[in-house]
Amino acid sequence: MPVDPVLLLDALAQALTLFLVASGLAVTFGLVGVINLAHGELLLAGAYTALAVERAGLGYWAGLALAPLVVGLLGFLLDLLVIRRLRERPLDTLLATWAAALVVRQTVVALFGPASHTIQPPIPGSVVLLGAPYPVHRLLVMGLALLVAALLAWLLFATRLGLMIRGAIADRTLAAVSGLAVRRLEALAFAFGAGLAGLAGAATAPLLSVDPQMGLGFLLPAFLAVLVAPGGGPAGTAIGAALVGGGESLVAAFASPVLAQLAVLAGAVVLLRRVAGRRAGRER
Amino acid sequence: MITTRRRALAGALATTLFTTGSFVAPRTARAQGAPVKVGAVLPFSGGLELFGQQAKLGLDLAAAEINEAGGILGRPVELVYEDNKTDPKTSVEKATRLITRDEVVAICGPITSSARDAMAPTMARGRTPLLYATNYEGGACGRYIFCFNTVPNQELAKLVPYLARTKGNRFYCFGADYVWPQRMFQHARKLVDGLGGTIVGEELTPFGVKEFAPVIRRIEASGAQVLLFALPGADGITFIRQAEDLGLLRKLTVGFLGFSEAYLGAFGPGRGQEMYVAVPFVASAEATGPKDFVARIRARAGQDAVVSHYVMTHWLALTALARALRKVGRIDREAVVEGLEGLTVEAPTGPVTIGAKDHHVTLAMFLAKTRGDQLVTVEALGPQAPEAGCA
Repeated sequence: MPVDPVLLLDALAQALTLFLVASGLAVTFGLVGVINLAHGELLLAGAYTALAVERAGLGYWAGLALAPLVVGLLGFLLDLLVIRRLRERPLDTLLATWAAALVVRQTVVALFGPASHTIQPPIPGSVVLLGAPYPVHRLLVMGLALLVAALLAWLLFATRLGLMIRGAIADRTLAAVSGLAVRRLEALAFAFGAGLAGLAGAATAPLLSVDPQMGLGFLLPAFLAVLVAPGGGPAGTAIGAALVGGGESLVAAFASPVLAQLAVLAGAVVLLRRVAGRRAGRER
Repeated sequence: MITTRRRALAGALATTLFTTGSFVAPRTARAQGAPVKVGAVLPFSGGLELFGQQAKLGLDLAAAEINEAGGILGRPVELVYEDNKTDPKTSVEKATRLITRDEVVAICGPITSSARDAMAPTMARGRTPLLYATNYEGGACGRYIFCFNTVPNQELAKLVPYLARTKGNRFYCFGADYVWPQRMFQHARKLVDGLGGTIVGEELTPFGVKEFAPVIRRIEASGAQVLLFALPGADGITFIRQAEDLGLLRKLTVGFLGFSEAYLGAFGPGRGQEMYVAVPFVASAEATGPKDFVARIRARAGQDAVVSHYVMTHWLALTALARALRKVGRIDREAVVEGLEGLTVEAPTGPVTIGAKDHHVTLAMFLAKTRGDQLVTVEALGPQAPEAGCA
């Protein structure tokens, strides 16, 4: 059976969307090393920022621009109030960020109500691609994902800030004694990662139901993508997102969505065991 | 008769409100004595807040109306709400507390089947009736459980033939991977087979999926004319949005099982149109009963309050409880069971009869569809008896 090229486009779309969603996590988890279970709620905050800005009559684009700033600030506060205080206790960070997630979610319920909202895509309608109508906003999200990938690569590998961040990751102690303000760098990176989550939330909002639970569905695939990624940088995350997002899309296309989630989860477990095995081997 | 009395009451209430500017209950019919406590275990946090709030609207109105009419055998009814956080384990804890600490005569709720199934043994052990008023898959039977909303046959019996007749008899079933959609599709298959139609595909999805493009392509490729859709909540909204974006909704008609007014407004202006459902209550209906009911809810909860069938069925559950106790002439848990069995209650949509054996309701159903920003009646289907699935 010849593969319908539209299915490949769908898989590409899902992989790129997942990359956008996971890029913030790649920074906070992959680089800073914080297991942030509130990542989905940072996306949620981004989507609701876009909703609030749209309701204020400023339109979608203003919301898309504001969401990373608002959520970046939220991330900064989360780091300052919670995560920084638990730096040496990673398991407690898990609990604390989960609690933060609950707080964000119920705050959204209190402010906006429990019901679903819609954000209309700024450019409605679709273009015909490969013989099927393709919504313009999907293409926009895909383009934005590529843009974020380029921005991340540039920041990390072509700027002095990126060099310092990479230095702090490679060896925290050595970086500190070399005079780098490691704490400040980590706080900055965390806020930046949160801002990326906010951007992803606002960008994907017109494709989804915007409701207080929307962050949850993103958390697992995003973590999987970052976990299976070879290395924490943007290239690794892109490969992780392609494996998880693209894989899920293709299995769903040829089998079923239930099988797709199972397959991706099973694949991730196998991959992780191999990675963990390799690491253990190296350390020995 | 009942309608006019309620109307007079509502009128008196409105007058009081407008003339004095504050709420004063009519003094003539004040209930005396220790309150009759009725528990309510509902989700007010944790995901299904929307349904918890809908249920509360109905229960609050029923309690107010019962008390304005003199209470139950002279005693006022008092609702004790507990938040189950959309969680089965919490539901059991709250039910236990209501039964032992508050000594309620019955408990209304919950919303999900998992919470209901978890609570059932506790209710039976505590010999306390559970008044469940959410549409579900059927099969919840026992002396201490009463169901005031629909089971699959009531929702599907007229909907499937209508869609087959007017839209085509090639069906595709797509829903969430749990018991309610599975039972819905089992029943739909029987109906479609009987009509000489075909089910060209049946497929289930886990919750939390954000990207439905692969499924949408497959449904499109199947050549289905009708999509029977049973994916409740936010995921369902996401699917419909993407199906519309990808052009699927132009090629087939959606029978959105479990749809209600609670979904309206989630698709955006002019979108999510012409989706069909069979429901026990349509808020936009022109008939006096529903119109009056919606007005009574909105007089208390505000003019933009959403009124779905969940409001009506929860109102019905508490109203029936009051009638049952008045009929038996005694206030205790067994009296609730005795009184409810075989009882007929006048609902806004007409008489509702509670089965003496199966404890499920025979009630009027309406074929409805989305149009503009409303759910509108297509056809009144008349009373539909439940196939409760009690062995």
